[in-house]
Amino acid sequence: MSAKKRDYGDLSILMALAVFTLWYLMDAIRVSSSVQNLLLILPLSLVVLAIVALEVVLRVKRGTLLQRLEEEAEPLHRTLPVVGLFAAYVISLETVGFDVATVLFVAAFLVLKGERKWPLLAGYSLAFGFGVAFFFAQMLPYPMHMLILQG
Amino acid sequence: MIDLAAVEQAMALLFSSFSPWMVVVPGIVIGLVFGATPGLQISMSMAIFLPMTLYMDFVQAMLFLTAIFTGGSFGSGIPAILMNIPGTSSAIATAFDGYPMARQGRHNQALGVALVSSVLGVLMGYLILFVMIQPLSFMVLKLGPAEMFAVILWGMTLIASLRGEQVLKGLMAGFVGLLVGTIGFNELGMARGTMGQAYLLDGVPVIPAMMGMFAASELFKLANKGFIVESEAARKVKISEIFQGFKMAVSYPWVLIRGGLIGVFVGAVPGVGSSVSNLLSYVETQRRDEDPDSFGKGNPKGVVASESANSTSEAGSMATLLALGIPGGGATAVMLAAFAMHNITGGPQFIRQQTDVVYAIIFANFAQVFLLVVIGLLFIPLLANIVKVPMRYLIPSVLVLAVMGSFGLTGNMTGPATVLVFSVVGWLFRHYGYSVPAMVIGMLLGAMAEKSLLHSYQISGGDIAYVLERPMTLVILVLLVLSLFGQRLAKRITRRQPRASA
Repeated sequence: MSAKKRDYGDLSILMALAVFTLWYLMDAIRVSSSVQNLLLILPLSLVVLAIVALEVVLRVKRGTLLQRLEEEAEPLHRTLPVVGLFAAYVISLETVGFDVATVLFVAAFLVLKGERKWPLLAGYSLAFGFGVAFFFAQMLPYPMHMLILQG
Repeated sequence: MIDLAAVEQAMALLFSSFSPWMVVVPGIVIGLVFGATPGLQISMSMAIFLPMTLYMDFVQAMLFLTAIFTGGSFGSGIPAILMNIPGTSSAIATAFDGYPMARQGRHNQALGVALVSSVLGVLMGYLILFVMIQPLSFMVLKLGPAEMFAVILWGMTLIASLRGEQVLKGLMAGFVGLLVGTIGFNELGMARGTMGQAYLLDGVPVIPAMMGMFAASELFKLANKGFIVESEAARKVKISEIFQGFKMAVSYPWVLIRGGLIGVFVGAVPGVGSSVSNLLSYVETQRRDEDPDSFGKGNPKGVVASESANSTSEAGSMATLLALGIPGGGATAVMLAAFAMHNITGGPQFIRQQTDVVYAIIFANFAQVFLLVVIGLLFIPLLANIVKVPMRYLIPSVLVLAVMGSFGLTGNMTGPATVLVFSVVGWLFRHYGYSVPAMVIGMLLGAMAEKSLLHSYQISGGDIAYVLERPMTLVILVLLVLSLFGQRLAKRITRRQPRASA
C-alpha cells in the first residue's frame, strides 16, 4: 500500500470500535444505571474511547490518519469471493440442509480456486460433505436439518 | 506431606489387576482425536464418553477421563501448529509460534517440541500435585475475587501488549473483547447488548467466536495460497525431525520449568486454568528472552512455553477438583459429574479419607505420560500429512468442521452465525494489525472479570482501601505495572548508567 493511496479501512475499524463501545455503554446504562451493572462496563468503555482518541491524535500528529501501518500482501478484494461463499454457506444451512449445503459449499470453493479435475471435485465434495454431515449428526445430541441424510 | 501407607495402597489399587489400565489407551486416543479436531472440545469428548464410566469403578473411571484429558491437551496443539486453529483455548499460544514454524516447513520439529513439552508438563504437574496437594488446596482457598480480577487484568494487559510496536491497538482489541465478553445477562439478571436476541442472553458463544477469529479469518487470508507450506521439500513428514523437536524442547529447561510452575498454579485457580496459563507462560518467556522479537515468527521456545503450561494446568485443575470439589474448567466439570455418578464428593475430607485413590490417580498419570509418547509418535506422522493437502481442499474442509463443531457447541444456528460474524471481524483485524488473540482472550474472560469485580465490590462495600488489605492483589497489580513498563524502565536506567559513570 503506497503512502499516496488513501486507505479508509483502518480508520473505519477504529471508528467501528468506538461506535460499538459507545452503543454498548448506552445500552448498559439504559438497562440499569446501578453501580453493579456498570462497575466494569463504564470504566472499561471510557478507557477504550480514550485509547481510540489517543490513537487518532497520534496518527494526526504523524500524518498517517488515512494510512495503514501494517503492510499486507493480500488485498481485501481478492478474498471477498471466499468470504461471500462462506457467508452463503452458513446462511443456507437451515434451508438447504447441512448435508447438501456442505457438498455445494465444498464443490463451489474448489471451482472458485481453480480445481478442474471434475471427477475428483465431485468425488471429494460428495464424500466429504455427506461424510462430515453424517458423522456430526451421529455424534451430536441435537437434531440437524438435512435434505437427504437422516438428521 | 506424603502418606507412605497410602502410596502402598495406591500401588495395590493400580497393579493388583490389569483392568484399570484397559481404558487408558482408548482414553488417550479419544483425547487426541477430539483435541486435534477443530471444534470438538476435550470437555465435549469427556461428556460424550461419561456415561461409559458408569460401568467402571471409580479409579478406572478417573483413569479413563484423565487419559482423555492428557491426550486432548496435546491433541489440541496439533491443529494449532498445522492450521493455526487452536483445538481448544488452552492451545492459543501454541499457535503463535507453532504455526509460523509449520509455514517455514518446520512442522515436524514443532510437533516434536509440542509432544515433549506436553509430556514433561503433565509429568511435572502431577509430580508437583503429588508433593503439594495439601498445601496447594490451602493456597487456592486464599484466592478471593479481588485476586482473580487482578490476575485477569494482568493476563489481559500482557496479552494485549504482546506486539510491542502496536500496544494501543492491542489494548483496544483486548478491552473491546472484555466488553463483548460481558454481553448478555449480568450477575443481577439484567441483559445488556443483546439487541433483543434471545440467543445472546447467555452471552456471545466464545468458542465459536474463537473459531471464527482464529481459524476462519486465517483461512481467508490463505485462500489464495497453494499449500500451508509452499516449498514441496519442506512438506515431508520426517520422524528424524520430530526427534530433533524432542531435543529442542529439552534444550530449554527453564522455559519448561517456568511454564510448568505457571501452569500448575494458574491451573489451580477455578475458572482460569489452562486458557490463561498458556498465554501467561508464553508472554513471560517472550518478555525474559534475549530476542523477544523472534517470538511469533517461529521460535520453538514459544511452543515449549505454551504446551508445558497447558499440560501442567491439568494437574493444577485436578488439585482444585480433588481438594475443594471445584472444577477449574469444562473438563474437570465433567470429572465432577463422574464423582457424583460414583457417589464421591471432592474436598479436604476426600483427600484425607481416600488418599490412596488420589495417589492412584496421580501415579496412573505418570504412566499415561509414557503411553502418550508412544501413541503421540504413532499419530503425529498421520496428522502431519495435513501440510501435503492443497489449500483449496483444506480450507473448505476446515471451515466446514468449524461450522459443524460450533453447531455442536450451541445446539442451534447461533454457533455457525457466530463463526461467520467473528471470521469477518478477525479477517479485518488481521488485515489492519489489531491483535486477534487479545480480543479472543478478552471475550473469554469478560464475564469472569465482571463477576470477580462485582464480588470484590460487594465484599469491600465499595471501599477501595480493601485492595490495600490484600497483599496478593497488590503483588499482582505491581506485576501488571512492571510487565507494562518494566522493560522500558530498565532500558532507561541502563541508558542513564553509562552517562552517569562517564
